[in-house]
Amino acid sequence: MMLSLAMRSVRQRPGRFVGTLMAATLGAAITMMFNSLHDTAGAVGVDDASSETLTLTGGVVGGYGSLLVFFAIASTLTINVRQRQEELHLLRCSGATPAQIKRMVMVEALAVAVVGALLAVLPAMLGGRLLLEMFKDTDQVAGGVDYAFGPIALGSGFGITLIASMGAAFLAVRRATRAADGGRAPRGRARTIGGLLALVAGAGGASTTFAMPSDDPALMAPAAYGAILLSIGFAALSPGLLRMLLTVFGRPVSLIGGAGGYLAVTNIRRRADQLAGVLMPLICFTGIGIATLYIQAVESSALDASGLTRSVDDKNVETVNMVVVGIIVIFSCIMLINSLYAAVSYRRAEFGRQRLIGATPAQVQKMVVVEALVLAGMGVFFGTLAGLAGIVPFTVARTDQTLPDEGLGIWLGIVGIAAAATLVTSLVTARRALRVPAIESVAVAA
Amino acid sequence: MFRRNRGAGPARSAEALRLDGVSKVYGSADNAVAALDNVSLSLPAGTFTAVMGPSGSGKSTLLQCAAGLDRPDSGTVTVDGAKMTGHGESGLAKFRRRRIGFIFQQYNLMPTLTVEQNTTLPLKLARRRINRARTREVLTHVGLGERLDHLPDQLSGGQRQRVAIARALVTEPSVIFADEPTGALDMRSARDVLRLLRESVQEHGRTVVMVTHDPVAASYADWVLFLADGRLAGDMYAPTVDAVAERLAHLGDTVAQGANGHHTHHADAHHLDAHTINVRTGD
Repeated sequence: MMLSLAMRSVRQRPGRFVGTLMAATLGAAITMMFNSLHDTAGAVGVDDASSETLTLTGGVVGGYGSLLVFFAIASTLTINVRQRQEELHLLRCSGATPAQIKRMVMVEALAVAVVGALLAVLPAMLGGRLLLEMFKDTDQVAGGVDYAFGPIALGSGFGITLIASMGAAFLAVRRATRAADGGRAPRGRARTIGGLLALVAGAGGASTTFAMPSDDPALMAPAAYGAILLSIGFAALSPGLLRMLLTVFGRPVSLIGGAGGYLAVTNIRRRADQLAGVLMPLICFTGIGIATLYIQAVESSALDASGLTRSVDDKNVETVNMVVVGIIVIFSCIMLINSLYAAVSYRRAEFGRQRLIGATPAQVQKMVVVEALVLAGMGVFFGTLAGLAGIVPFTVARTDQTLPDEGLGIWLGIVGIAAAATLVTSLVTARRALRVPAIESVAVAA
Repeated sequence: MFRRNRGAGPARSAEALRLDGVSKVYGSADNAVAALDNVSLSLPAGTFTAVMGPSGSGKSTLLQCAAGLDRPDSGTVTVDGAKMTGHGESGLAKFRRRRIGFIFQQYNLMPTLTVEQNTTLPLKLARRRINRARTREVLTHVGLGERLDHLPDQLSGGQRQRVAIARALVTEPSVIFADEPTGALDMRSARDVLRLLRESVQEHGRTVVMVTHDPVAASYADWVLFLADGRLAGDMYAPTVDAVAERLAHLGDTVAQGANGHHTHHADAHHLDAHTINVRTGD
């Protein structure tokens, strides 16, 4: 019964699942693409050097990439389920038990994950093949190696997508049905503990860099894992941090920002938990972006400094590495935009209510901008912390310096993109929502 | 109590609301539905008017056009002597802020704001000074003096609607529009809400226009305007529950007659004046 309801809801309202489907597809594609390198390396007759290059990229980038994908899909699913409170409430009113609702949401999550992973197979094969070609062109892999897409790619792609989406759906729907039972949602003690654990694990991960030999080719792995875990930890703890921040800055912001600023501040204060869903991809993008790009840059200059004259080939290798890292950074940027779009477009009715009692569209937009600025500031700050936690150990281990020589360029670039993505996505989405007449946007969708 | 000082405020026009030939058509040319068909009316300040009619009679459209939430296709709306000519949504919003209060069936409170913050939000949006003492006075009057810091989801439906009433009152608007304000309430809460609306008219001189389909709610008003097929179809002074119900039950008859051509509406025939009520329907 709930199964058919779930399938109907996916078929009838495809728009609502576009965001989660996109996250699942992209995430699965990236996971499969990198993990297919393991399949390729494992094939019969691949020489040791080629195999090492492939497993290294598959292991390091594929590893932390998969971790990132896991949390990206989970956070998109969480936002999605949270936004369906009203529909779930209607279902309860028409006699669905919490268990039935749980089953429905889980089946939907399963359907989206399976479809997403299936859609990802072809692009992943194509991407993996291109990666292999790039490795061959730069002579990192022997020309005779054939591309293989096998059980490791499929297993990791489907596994991560399914576990992330169903796990997140389970937690979100449990929270939703519990909130409906007891009136208010339970204070997230589990989230606080999880956040602290992620911080500890992240710090631990980043510091294992010191324990590794400075020329270990996988040296960047713990640093990247550390940065990601720290990002997740900060995001999980962000509601508390946001509230702390507002006790200090709330007043000045609402004084400067007028009615829009005032609404933004009260919104952030009361909705701090929901905003954490957007902060997660924001902190992750900033953290992972600066960590991986700086680490790659440090790696390149360390090669320079080792005194070996750089050949054209070395430069090419560098380019390939940047491409690999770039894929991950672009993925997290898309996820950031995806979550922001979902979070803001969901607020159409809220904007409508504000307009009906006298807010001008300009005031609503101002509110959205102030919120985006606070989010961006917070995201950039903690993202930078997380990123530094990855960069510093790596730089110390690799070069005996504390900070890379590369200067602020990369940081400014990533921070600029993060801030611009946050502001532009929020504002454009809000403006679209404002185009609907207020009286219509308040009406409950049938 | 709800006006600090009559002399200090802007001079009020004796006519709180005036509609001249207001029409509104929905849909495209071949299946156009006239939600409002050339409606004219005039309501003096300090009155409590109920607008009634069957579903689809255009009463919500009338309210939305009169309140500046929707734009009529033709005709003019005048609130407290000022023509509603706001250009764009922003202009209309600014026009409404100063002159119009609104009470919605679904309360329309901000879930993230406390009772007191919700009440003062229209003043904040209009960048008007907030008089805390007066806000609390109004909230105490609607029976929420002890709940200033509660959030809407901690309140019952009746309490939420009373917050909405307080919010409409603090801005001291020329007209308060209420769209089925008791539609989601139990009888007891509904009675409290209706009493508050009537008090604000009788004791504090506000003007209230309420759309409702409930004869009991309408009986609290000074008079009732009946609407059918987007046109005014009569009115009733000092309505009683039974008389309103009776008239509603037969509203369909006159409409059917009109459709057969025996009965023609003319806008002028329904130019209602508060003091000289002339019912010219069903002739």
